[in-house]
This record gives sequence, structure tokens and C-alpha cells, in this order.
Amino acid sequence: MDLSNLFAFVIFPYITLVTFVVGHSYRYFTDELSWNSRSSQLLEPKSLKIGITLFHWGILATLGGHAVGLLIPQRIWDLFGIDGEAHTQIAVWSGLLVGIVAFIGILMLIHRRYTQPRIRITTTVGDWITLIGLAFVITTGLYNVIFGHYYILDTVAPWIRGIVTLTPDPTLMIPVPFSYKLHVLSAFFLLGFSPFTRLVHIWSVPLGYINRSYLLFRRRPAIEEQI
Amino acid sequence: MRIKAHYAMVLNLDKCIGCHTCSIPCKNVWTNRQGVEYAWFNNVETKPGIGYPKRWEDQELHRGGWKLGYRGHLKLRAGGRGKKMAQIFHNPDLPAIDEYYEPWTYDYGKLIKSPAGKHQPSVRPKSQITGETMDVKWGPNWEDDLAGVNRTGALDINFRNLEHSIYLKFKQVFMFYLPRLCEHCLNPGCVASCPSGAMYKREEDGIVLVDQNRCRGWRYCVSGCPYKKVYYNWVNGRSEKCIFCYPRIEAGLPTLCAQTCVGRIRYVGVVLYDADGIRFAASQEDEEDLYPAHTAILLNPNDPAIQKEAEKQGIPPAWRKAAQRSPVYKLAKEWKIAFPLHPEYRTLPMVWYIPPLSPVSDALAPERSRVETLDKIDTIDRMRIPITYLANLLTAGDEKPVRMAMKKLMAVRAYMRGKQLDGVGDADAISAVNMTPETAEAMYELLAIARYENRFVIPTVERTGNTDLYRMQGSCGIPGTVPAHGPFPREEESSR
Repeated sequence: MDLSNLFAFVIFPYITLVTFVVGHSYRYFTDELSWNSRSSQLLEPKSLKIGITLFHWGILATLGGHAVGLLIPQRIWDLFGIDGEAHTQIAVWSGLLVGIVAFIGILMLIHRRYTQPRIRITTTVGDWITLIGLAFVITTGLYNVIFGHYYILDTVAPWIRGIVTLTPDPTLMIPVPFSYKLHVLSAFFLLGFSPFTRLVHIWSVPLGYINRSYLLFRRRPAIEEQI
Repeated sequence: MRIKAHYAMVLNLDKCIGCHTCSIPCKNVWTNRQGVEYAWFNNVETKPGIGYPKRWEDQELHRGGWKLGYRGHLKLRAGGRGKKMAQIFHNPDLPAIDEYYEPWTYDYGKLIKSPAGKHQPSVRPKSQITGETMDVKWGPNWEDDLAGVNRTGALDINFRNLEHSIYLKFKQVFMFYLPRLCEHCLNPGCVASCPSGAMYKREEDGIVLVDQNRCRGWRYCVSGCPYKKVYYNWVNGRSEKCIFCYPRIEAGLPTLCAQTCVGRIRYVGVVLYDADGIRFAASQEDEEDLYPAHTAILLNPNDPAIQKEAEKQGIPPAWRKAAQRSPVYKLAKEWKIAFPLHPEYRTLPMVWYIPPLSPVSDALAPERSRVETLDKIDTIDRMRIPITYLANLLTAGDEKPVRMAMKKLMAVRAYMRGKQLDGVGDADAISAVNMTPETAEAMYELLAIARYENRFVIPTVERTGNTDLYRMQGSCGIPGTVPAHGPFPREEESSR
């Protein structure tokens, strides 16, 4: 077996996944104070609005589409009368739509971060890596949707399910075109890098707010707990 | 009835000289850091004016606080939970930092390091965000002593039902100071707006805090507070606010702003209130009913039934006693001379203001002596500061309670002047406002003399848990510093 293929599609994904889990846990329990989105809206709200909204909705829909399309095996879709061809058509057109939305959004955010002096000076190296990384993953994804025309449901999809179910089969990825491999690997890189960035805010989506009491009281902790 | 104790503050605007001394220790102790250098937990504004951040009082613009929605239900003005979640990526109501001001400093080194030249070296303001040279365009006290109010004053919403152009004319102009801090509301808009549940009121004393560990920087507290007293730290991405100096308060000391006030205008005390009445008080249909409903849920600490119930519900004895001596209860509820700031925001604020008296502006009665004119109660309508303006600020436009409070303040002056000049107080003046000589003298004592121990009646915090304070002494509250054997080595301890 090709060693580099084994590294790229078994070892590397698991390294990033372990980094993802351990990194998030470590940061949450040792440095919860830094666990937030570090919003820059206060400094420069006008240039933010359209880009941030497009990007977030676009990327959320894209992630949802990936989860539904890749993690559910094709044989289940077949039960509902959606064959592989139809599945691909749906994925390509919906992916194109939300991908373009996210792409425009991220370009606007990069432009803002580069041109607005207040934002530029408060940007860290990690912020740049995150932003460029996201843009790279989105760009390769869009490239594949528009120019790829590769049938992934028998290759990439079962491979990623193998990763998730701890039964990885790297041979599935051998015939996959380079641009798809690039998309997958950059996405895994971002996954592994995310615990060290502001992306941690994803895991704090305040769903509890929906049915929470408006008014909250808390008792002072007993003095033993304070020390 | 669910009785809770609450710290509250009263500010006597009649005595505020606008010196900003309150703001300075607050800034030095709590917000002297990058990220919150633009934040003033306490600031002093000149009224009329649009304040800091710009036009904070205009909720049509900023959409903070509550309003009445369908069937009289309380609703956050900026929208409910679903709407907030949908807009969480970009809060449409968050003010930009420029609405507060772009923080700046000066390159002071230039003054001493510049080479000798024909002219004195000068320093220009530099942005504390970008480090670039900048033009200063606004600040926390930009309108100090009415500076620029000929331009901004028209946007002051307290001119409702008044012709602002008359009052902004040079010869008709009026002003007073409005020191502002977090109101530690009974029905706080910020707490209700926080998606993370990081903000809360302390069960024991009502202080509103941001849990720094839980804050995720969604920024809705900033826009949800109608007083704009929660600030977003742009460096670390978390919100911060006035903490009512709880480390001091817990030790029985007044807040820094209150302690340092040179005019002795601030009063800090405890009030008991009925937490079951919050919804009722905040959802009065007529905005003018909000102030009386607010005072209605403040409980009389001298009522034996209330005392008994408070004891049953676990209010500590020192707190119940402090509530009886509370200057806030006297000023706000018993004498009704202190009012909440903008009750129409429906947050039930717990920082109260005594309206300022002001010089008589017209010469309608030139035949009267000056002293007589000032003493006569009917002169309050001829004072420079229009009652309507004060009512818009303090009682959602209802002039009756403000007028009554000012009559009382005038009556106390008349009574005490008589007493000190003629040896006998003016009984007519105080009976006209249904006041006994005892009350008049008590008001004089609290308002004019304002002794430290009367201004600040602050019980120390009730320690909970089985605590060996002796063992903990010297540990400064720093985690891990409590010696297992206490302050002395084991041998000494065993020989004691």
C-alpha cells in the first residue's frame, strides 16, 4: 500500500481529530476565559454586516449538507428513491448555491480584515491562518462542485464514514482526483487547528437561550469554593 | 411574597457639582486596561445633552430595555430569543466604539525628547486602537458644561413636550449634571438578553454581574441595556460592567464612586423588595404608572410582618436591620423625593435620583425680595430647569411626583432657614406639603449634613458555609494559599 496515501487518509485525519478533541477539552478546562468568538463588531460594524451574515449562513448550510450527504450511506437514500445520480445532482446544485454564499462572505471578511486599520491591527497570526484556511477549503470545495464532476458516493463518502466509525480504508481514496484530496486534507487541517482559534465559539451556540428564563439569579459561592 | 434584599443607591442631583471625582477612582481601579479604556462604569454627563454613548437614551435608535408587546406581555425591545439567535452573527443594535469614543492617548515622550527648536514641541492624540494619529471627535464627557449642546441638544429626548430651541438659547439655557452607573435593575434587560446565561443577579444583594468564564462575547447585553452600561472588551472579547464594587461592599465599605464623592451626594443602602412583584411592576400599561408600581414593590422594613417574613425567608439579621436604617428607603419610598432614571425602559432600575433645584429664571415678581422668591413653593415652575424635562428624565413624563418632591425640598429649606435665622422653623412651609417638623429635620440631616454613617448603611456580607476564618487569615483569597494548619505552625497550634 502507498505509504503516503496511508498517512494522508488515515494517520493525518486521526491526528487532527485527536488534536481536535484533546485541544478543545484542554482549552475549555484550562482557559475558559478565552473561549469566545472575539467579535470585532464593536470596532467596525458597518463593513462586517453583510460579509459575516453571508459567511455564517453559507458555511452552516454547507456543513449541514456535508453531514447529511456524506455520513448517511447511499443505500439508505436508495430506500427513499433517491439514487446516486439524483443525490449527486441535489448535492451539486445546493452545494453550489450555499458554497457561493459562503465564498462571497469569506472574501468580504478577508477584505475587511486587510483594509480596515482597526481590524488589521487586532488580527493575530492564528486569525489569518483560520481565515485563509477557511477560504482555501471553500474555494477547493467550490472548484470541485463546478469543475470536478467526480462521483464521490462510492469513494470519498464511504471513506469518511470509515474514519467516523474507526474502520478507515485509505484505498478508497486512491482514485480520487487531486482537487478533492486537497479539499479533504485542508478541511482536516482546519479541524485540527480550530481548538487554538476563535472557532471554538461554534461549540458554544447558545441553544439553551431558547427556553431559558429571562431573569437569572445566582447565589454567592460558599467561601470554601472561592478559595 | 418572595422577599429579597437589594443594594441600591441614591444620587442627590441638587448637590452634584460635576467634578468627575466619582469617575476617576472607578476608572483607575476597574477599567484601567486595554480593551476597556473606552469604558467608564461611572461617568458624569451634563444635561441637556445626548451623552455617552451618543443618544443612549433614545431607545427608538438603540432598542434597549423592554416594551409591552401582545396582550401587555413584557418583550425585549430588540426582539425575543428567536430573533436574537437568527441575528447572532451581527447584532444590529450594537453601537460602534465611535459612539462612545475612540480611545486615545498622547506621545508624552515627545515633549521631553524632541530636539531644541524654535517652537515648543506639541503632542497630538493617538488612537489607542491603531496607534495612528487621530482627531478626537467624542468622549465620555464631551458635552461637559453644555459644550456643543447647541448642536446636539435637539436630539435629547428629554425635551419631549418642550420646545428645545427655547431652552438652548444662550440666555434661557439650563444645565445640571447626571452621574451615571449601572442601575443594577430588578428586571435587567442585559441579563435577559445574554444568550449564554453568563449574566446574573446575585441572589443575596441583587448586584448584576457578568460571569467572565461563561461570557462568549455575543454582545447582546451591550445593546439590551437601555443605559448602555455594559461594555464589550474589544481585546479579550468579553463584556464587562460596573460590579457595584462588590469586594468593598461585601466588607461594608461604600462603592468607590460613593466613597470619593466630594459633594456627598451619594447614598448607599439596602432595600427589601418583593421579587414576585417584578413582572407586575414592569408591565404597567401606562408608562406613568411604572414609577409608582416600582416603589410599591419596595417593602417597608419597619413593618413587623415584613420583618418576620424576611426572617423566615432567610434574610440575615444584619441586613434586616440595615434595611430599617436605609437612606435609600427613606429617600425613595418614605419621602418620595428620589426617582428611578427613565422608568419607561421597564427595567426597574435601582439607582435613584433626587431632582435638582435651580435658580428662578424670570423676573415675574421683582417686588419680592430674592430670599422670599426662592422660598416660595410656587417658584418651582419658574426655575430654570423645566419640570417637564425632569419628569421626562425621572418619571416617564409624570410631573406630579417630581413637582411634589421639589416642593418638599423647598419646604425643608424654608423651614430650616427660619429655624437658623429666627430660631423657629417655618411651620406653614412644611405643613403645605404635609410634612412634620421631625421629617423636615430628618431630611435636612440626611440631605444637607449627610454624615458618612447616615449616607452609607452597608451590612457586611453574610458568610455562608462552615468556614474557619481563623485558618484562612493572611491567604488574601488567592486559591491555594490557605495553609492546611492555619497561620501558625502545628506545634504552636497544639500548645494553644
